Amino acid sequence: MSSTVSTDSSPTAGTVDPARPPRAGKRDVWLVFWIVPAFYTAFGVIFFALARVMPPPRPDVTVDQMVHFFHAHALTIKIGFGVLVLIVGGAGISNGIVVYHMKRMTVGSVMAYIYLGSMSVGALPGCLLVAFSFLTAVYRPGRDPQILAMLYDLGLLSYVGSLGCFSTAYFAFAVAILYDKNEIFPKWLAYVNVWQIVTEVLTVAIFVSKAGPFAWNGVNSFWLGTVIFGVWLVCVIVFLKKANELQPADEPPLD
Amino acid sequence: MGDLVAHTEQAAGEFDTAATSSVTSAEGRVHLPGDVHMWVMVLGDLTIFGAYFIIFMVFRARNPQEFLASEQHLNINIGVLNTLVLLASSWFIARSVQAARADDHARALRLTYFGGLCGVGFIAIKAYEWSAKITQGYTISSNDFFMFYYMLTGVHLFHVSLGLLILGITVRELRNPRRRRPFMVEAGATYWHMVDLLWIVIFALVYVMR
Amino acid sequence: MQILAEAEDLPKTANIKTQLISLWTAPVFGVVLLVAFLAFPGFFPPMSPEMTAEQVAKFYSDHTAMIRFSMVTFNLCGIMLLPIFMVIVVQMKRMATQSHVFAYCYLTAAVTGATLFALADIFYLVAAFRPARNPELIELLNDMGWMIFIAPVGAAVAMNLLLGLAIYFDDGPNPVFQRWVGHYAVGTALAMAPAVGAAVFTTGPLAWNGVISFWLRNGAFTLFVIVMFFVLRNVLHRQAIDEGVAR
Repeated sequence: MSSTVSTDSSPTAGTVDPARPPRAGKRDVWLVFWIVPAFYTAFGVIFFALARVMPPPRPDVTVDQMVHFFHAHALTIKIGFGVLVLIVGGAGISNGIVVYHMKRMTVGSVMAYIYLGSMSVGALPGCLLVAFSFLTAVYRPGRDPQILAMLYDLGLLSYVGSLGCFSTAYFAFAVAILYDKNEIFPKWLAYVNVWQIVTEVLTVAIFVSKAGPFAWNGVNSFWLGTVIFGVWLVCVIVFLKKANELQPADEPPLD
Repeated sequence: MGDLVAHTEQAAGEFDTAATSSVTSAEGRVHLPGDVHMWVMVLGDLTIFGAYFIIFMVFRARNPQEFLASEQHLNINIGVLNTLVLLASSWFIARSVQAARADDHARALRLTYFGGLCGVGFIAIKAYEWSAKITQGYTISSNDFFMFYYMLTGVHLFHVSLGLLILGITVRELRNPRRRRPFMVEAGATYWHMVDLLWIVIFALVYVMR
Repeated sequence: MQILAEAEDLPKTANIKTQLISLWTAPVFGVVLLVAFLAFPGFFPPMSPEMTAEQVAKFYSDHTAMIRFSMVTFNLCGIMLLPIFMVIVVQMKRMATQSHVFAYCYLTAAVTGATLFALADIFYLVAAFRPARNPELIELLNDMGWMIFIAPVGAAVAMNLLLGLAIYFDDGPNPVFQRWVGHYAVGTALAMAPAVGAAVFTTGPLAWNGVISFWLRNGAFTLFVIVMFFVLRNVLHRQAIDEGVAR
């Protein structure tokens, strides 16, 4: 890892404008940082526009309607989820840069490892399983409708209903922020993580409810959760950027 | 703002440095109890719950008969008992903040314990209430009203548990002679009062409203 | 433990505190998971792979509420067992006489194992979502749930062998763990390994309801978590004393 002074180096001390200090941070961390909003933008396009998983199609439909859903959206599902399984490394990268900054905190590494681990766990049941279920569903035309219905349920229940892995990650992130004296992230971001856990708890009802606000497409389980996730994501991206900016360019590499 | 900065620097350091204004200046500036981060938490949480409450009202309006009929099956006495227990706990916690500000830490500690005990009592009563309802056959999948009932009280119960954890942190703060920072005690109390406020709204909407 | 006054604000103290928090999530959520385990109607006795599709479907429609309650709890709380394993990672990195390679391998193996656990309960929940589904599909989902839950012990086996190796390699003057912990970890790995038979056998002790694949595997794992809680508590205490954090 390089510890060279950044290329936008400051001139001699007397000429530094305190109102506009030269941007600090390390170039490799900046590179990784910009992947985060790029990935989540692509993720948004895939999940909202192409794969039609956000918002999810309804659970209270007949088998024929589920089959129709797959037929109607087969092409965009293939494009969207096909691209997703290519770029899903972006999720790992987004998690990695958070882990990197967590390791710059004064709290030791255990919370960073928990975040790393839990988010990694979440990638499969919470993101890729719906991709695999839907891709399989549209892979062969003429598959048995009941099997298509099962893939529909499997994909959507796993996507909306993977709760614990993310809750554990948010827990670790919150604890680390609250104990950190380096103020890598602001303390209130810890509480945004707590809100995320609250929305996970509220989503448990999707395994019971097939219609209404607590179904997997319902306003409580899905929409509120997605809005608050959006808030969380924006906050994390903004503060990752700030953490990058405040990082001295000559900070030694982490252990 | 200049002397506020100086005062803030004096209060800063240790656990939480940002934006605390827990030292009142001689000029009598407005003192924000607790810390700004806990207020972000409280206001955000209230907003989220506000959304849940509005959604509850919308679904209630769509199905007034079913909701009203189902509401009859709730035991309003237990609801009242829970409300009183939580109000008592908030009273203890408020008194403990006063004691902490007056540097009577032993008393603040005692009052915090009482507040926490009431919190435990709340959870026990709620557990009893749920098991009674379930044995009577009113489960989460009975109808929309009961799904709201279990989910709203369940998420609230999660907040109560978190609140007990936070009160535990307050206890540790008060027991440590090198800490006992007022803003920590106040922040814990802020959270606890929020939990109480949420319950009052839930009680009003779910148990009482006709 | 009694944190020393002068150490209260030091990073190494926060390191100990965050590890303690991670350690204590294990018993707190362990109790919750135990309740979920006892609540699942299909563990007492464990469901037989020889049940017909109709019997499986009937099981899911007869016990829908408890299946959902139990599996939702596993879903929401299961990964809260990860923190204690991450404490082990941090402790492995403290071993002075080796590189940290075992610790990182342990970390990745733990993530793999946790993923399997998270995946398995989704299948049970999907099976319980629409009990009127075609019984053969319910049987399929049930099969996948059981197989993913019981059979892929490789991650846990690897974790425990790595821990054992690391402890054996930690032969300097200040070992982090006592040597018997290494033997115990290897023993746990050996106790869990035969459960892979559940992927293949449909009857007998190696089937997913069998005494080796179900009871020995899960019992060994549970006992390991319990034992390691106490071991790590002592280890953390000694770390705190060694680093001047506590008395």
